[in-house]
Amino acid sequence: MNDAEPLRLAEVSAGYGQRTVLDGLDLGLRQGTITAIVGPNGSGKSTVIRAMARLLPTRSGVVLLDGRDIQSLGSRDIARLVSVLPQSPTSPPGLTVRELVELGRFPHTGLFGRFGAEGARAVESALTLTELSDFVERPVDELSGGERQRAWIALALAQGASTLLLDEPTTFLDVRHQFEVLDLVASLCSSRGMTVVLVLHDLVHAANYADRVVVVDAGRIVADGAPSEVLTVELMRTVFGVAARVFTNPESGRVFCLPVGTGGS
Amino acid sequence: MTSARSFAALTLFTGLAAAVLFVLHLGLGTVWIPPDRVVLALLDRSTDPTDLTIVRELRLPRAILGLLVGCMLGLSGALLQVVMRNRLAEPGLTGVSAGGILAAVLFLAGLWGLPPPGRLLPFVVLLGALAGGTLVLFVSSVRGRIDPLRLILTAVIVNAILGSLTSIVMLRSQQALGSILAWLIGSLNGRVWDDVWLALPWAAVGIPAGLLAARAANVLQLDDESGRALGLPLQPARVAMFGLAAFLAAGAVSVSGAIPFVGLMAPNAARAIAGADARRLLPLSALIGCVLLLAADLVAQSLSIRPPIPSSSYRVGLPVGAVLAVFGAPLLIILLRRSIR
Repeated sequence: MNDAEPLRLAEVSAGYGQRTVLDGLDLGLRQGTITAIVGPNGSGKSTVIRAMARLLPTRSGVVLLDGRDIQSLGSRDIARLVSVLPQSPTSPPGLTVRELVELGRFPHTGLFGRFGAEGARAVESALTLTELSDFVERPVDELSGGERQRAWIALALAQGASTLLLDEPTTFLDVRHQFEVLDLVASLCSSRGMTVVLVLHDLVHAANYADRVVVVDAGRIVADGAPSEVLTVELMRTVFGVAARVFTNPESGRVFCLPVGTGGS
Repeated sequence: MTSARSFAALTLFTGLAAAVLFVLHLGLGTVWIPPDRVVLALLDRSTDPTDLTIVRELRLPRAILGLLVGCMLGLSGALLQVVMRNRLAEPGLTGVSAGGILAAVLFLAGLWGLPPPGRLLPFVVLLGALAGGTLVLFVSSVRGRIDPLRLILTAVIVNAILGSLTSIVMLRSQQALGSILAWLIGSLNGRVWDDVWLALPWAAVGIPAGLLAARAANVLQLDDESGRALGLPLQPARVAMFGLAAFLAAGAVSVSGAIPFVGLMAPNAARAIAGADARRLLPLSALIGCVLLLAADLVAQSLSIRPPIPSSSYRVGLPVGAVLAVFGAPLLIILLRRSIR
């Protein structure tokens, strides 16, 4: 066991009803890095995140948060250590950006506690980092997709957790806003030393932003490593069932893979 | 939607409106007492013993009940709209009103062979109300899970069943129809200090508790996954908040009957004015509830009818529930047309 691991899944199995989704999965996160989890639909990507924050009970195995068994922690203790941004979060109509972001302090204040100066600071800094300071009085449901996603990321930041789990944060965003959100995440990682997990569909984004790519298929990890090691023609064929070309971007030195078809099989 | 400062102004304004209505309410009756004399009597500074008796003994209980019941219904409605995630939710949907009324009807019809009304009635209503709320919660929970949509659908169905049982009992005992109707419509006519003492403990516990639930209410307004990710145990929170809403509604129903619309209109008005944040929504909804009920009761008091009882020639005030149904419904429609595009 490594002390620099803010979060580790050890032999974790989990599922819904009769269906087993994660099957003895092992995964430790490294402090201050971005890990992308990729895989086909229904492979269990989102379930990994849900297990990490105890949003779904595990059937067997252990989840360690800062080296402690997650089962021994209270819900609010977990929320102080791990922020989760679900796939399609919804806020009630009319709730403003500031009001939403202030909810991020819930794990710290609880039902009756005081918001306090520390809470106000956390909210302000989350709003500044996500460049939402001019939007604070705007209702979240009236923002554009990219702004709305930033507002939810701000809520997660106000939570003050050092680990951030994002479930397909770029879905439904146009290409520019996708980059905006991912750049924001990358800067949080480098400037605040946050540990980030991104569940992604887009392998180009995964290759561009992640320090490490974890490929999940049928509830198991089938590949794990640097983007250039993991994203290969072979993997694209066996896991995703597509023929692909893999290139290296001469400017960034990062790989990117270009799916070209179903491989004619 | 509103800054902290304008919200404070808004609260102050609504509070003032409630205070003015309260004084007017105390002045109105068979004998009109001007506001200055009402205030003097209230402060026990009046030199006129008649004013003192009329204001403090005869009219104050009803006005205080108007404040308490309006506040409880407004708050209860706002909490329910949060739990059920639906702006049409209202205290009548907790099963509380229907349960309370069924109990009242059974009692008044003498089906339990108990001595007729007397001071026992509010307690009977209270028990029925709590039983109705518990029934809705019980029926709608599946393996200990409360789902907002299932909760609201179950509530509608349970209400329909309790309502038809009430109708059946009423058909069988037509002699008690008059007093039963007053409970069905909701009325503050003839309320005395004893009724205030009955409602006060519920208000004193339920109102502060309801207001303190604002933070959890805000988290419940998000989607389930986001709420859980913030560390709120959703199921216990929903049960507690529904219970709180039912508790408040039961306290109101036990002294006033099933007063309609206040618990629906107040939260919708508050949401349209102050936005979705429960820290503002809940207190404002409670205040607006007070204003609505006092205003409606003011109208109810000034319009009197001659009840169709052969032997009597006296006139009685309109039940406040009837006023709310007549004037409140169109108001609500206007409000909804404006606030939901």
